[in-house]
Amino acid sequence: MSGLLVEKSSVSPFKAGSGASAKKWKSTIFWILLTIYGLLTLYPLFWLVISAFKTNAEFMNRPFGLPEAWQVDNFVRAWKSSKMGTAFANSVIVSVVSLVLTLFISALASFVIARLKFKGKGLILGFFVVGMLIPIHSTLVPLFILMKQMSVLNTYWALILPYTAFALPTAIFVLTAYLTSVPKEIEEAAFIDGTGLWGVFLRIMLPISLPALSTVTILSFLHSWNDFSFALVFISKSSLKTLPLSIATFADGYQTDYGLTLAAMTIAVIPTIIVYLAFQEQVMKGMTAGAVKG
Amino acid sequence: MTNTLNVRRFVILGLLPALVLYSLFVFVPVIWSAYYGFFDWKGIGAAKFIGLKNYVEVIHDPVFWRALKNNVIFVLASVLGQLPLALVLAIVLYKSNPLQRFLRSAIFMPMVMSSVIIGMIWQYIYHPQIGILNFLLDAVGLSSWKLQWLSDDKIAIFSLIPPLLWSFVGLYLIIFISALQNIPGEIHDAALIDGAGGLRKIVSITLPMIWSTVQVAIILCISGSLKSFDLVYVMTKGGPAHSTELLATYMYNSTFSSYRYGYGSAISTSIIIISLLFIGTSQWLTSRKSKQEAKGGHA
Repeated sequence: MSGLLVEKSSVSPFKAGSGASAKKWKSTIFWILLTIYGLLTLYPLFWLVISAFKTNAEFMNRPFGLPEAWQVDNFVRAWKSSKMGTAFANSVIVSVVSLVLTLFISALASFVIARLKFKGKGLILGFFVVGMLIPIHSTLVPLFILMKQMSVLNTYWALILPYTAFALPTAIFVLTAYLTSVPKEIEEAAFIDGTGLWGVFLRIMLPISLPALSTVTILSFLHSWNDFSFALVFISKSSLKTLPLSIATFADGYQTDYGLTLAAMTIAVIPTIIVYLAFQEQVMKGMTAGAVKG
Repeated sequence: MTNTLNVRRFVILGLLPALVLYSLFVFVPVIWSAYYGFFDWKGIGAAKFIGLKNYVEVIHDPVFWRALKNNVIFVLASVLGQLPLALVLAIVLYKSNPLQRFLRSAIFMPMVMSSVIIGMIWQYIYHPQIGILNFLLDAVGLSSWKLQWLSDDKIAIFSLIPPLLWSFVGLYLIIFISALQNIPGEIHDAALIDGAGGLRKIVSITLPMIWSTVQVAIILCISGSLKSFDLVYVMTKGGPAHSTELLATYMYNSTFSSYRYGYGSAISTSIIIISLLFIGTSQWLTSRKSKQEAKGGHA
């Protein structure tokens, strides 16, 4: 996994043999095709942003090409009429709170599992890891009933609790694997100095696990930020809707005002794209962490 | 020095929040779901115990089988479409020159987008009147190829495959790239000396080296495809006429649109059983294959 950023010194499989010019041509064409493929995968997003600036008429008659006059007004109207501000705040609140809970709870549990001796350790780790295979949607009905009985439906907790709970298996898996590889001497010295278990956890283990914690951060934040199904089932109050849910409902209501809908979609997608562009390598590494270590 | 009693207290205290939250919201619901499946319940009022009736109805329900078939189509499209594509891309993109980095980032990008947005974008692409796909077909003189991509019940399920591939191919690309970067450089060099290049090298050296990663990727494909919900819910809601119904959308529709909580729970339980069966079978098949290969290598 750590090799993602590293340039490998191995010989490319496509430069094999003597460099005939026909081969060079082939490789140029090959890379051109590949670049076209790359641009094609970016096109839907590009199309979204460009179309968000168009008038309805232009959107329907000239779907390709840049807008003749950039309708910034679409964004202003979208922000006002779709309560995007509220949805944005809701998404930030549930994502941040569940992230903080996930980080603390999973780090603590992973510290215990990876560094302390006790009976049934393997069993407990296995119990958590099995959770990575449970299909989220098969829990929707019982969770709905459970939360109804706890009367937390239509509160932030209806999202924060399941987001945290479902983030735990991968988080504990990644953190335990990381902490197990830390040499024993590190906390032994601290114990001799009289530092307690909490002290070791907070002052030594948390800082040491920073790379693994950042992986967990990316993974669980994106999951809760983008989640649709939990929000769809557990939230019906419009003042509590998160971004994906609110966009989906908004689109149902404004089907034919295309500029408006696309502007709302653009507003919703831009923050994740910006974060992604800023931390590409970390995000790619983070989102595949659970899989690669498995 | 910390004494044993303290350590024991810390172990319990440290595991407790994780265990409680995880059990209550992830693990126990699975069991409850199986239990609720024995009841006839509309969400309000008394639940009536009806034994295995819901489960028997699931087995005889044509829509359930239709949904399962669609899930299998998704699994096959992922395993046979996504994985080979991702593998080929990984083999050409695993180094880090600027173009390779750019392509990697571009292909991975849909992974960070909400599937609601992805579904909505593709709805516009497929739109019969204003969609860019039909517009494009008109422009290149293939008007006869224009279709009702999402509202024709014969092709709707297949129209959902490109957005599915587009969203997730980046995930497998990065997984395979990490695996390829872990292959020591000497192995590539040795292959070159032996004169193994191109396809032969991929089949006889690269693939066996990363086979365990391929196995993990297959499991991810299966569990990921069985988890599909958002994209389909946003694009077709399972229609027209259940033609794009998936197990998850059918479960959702039965529970929250038809208010049959017991029946929805029975479908939920089936989803878990089916996904474990799929994963078990794929594990068995792929591990058998790697054993055979190991034997072949010795011969």
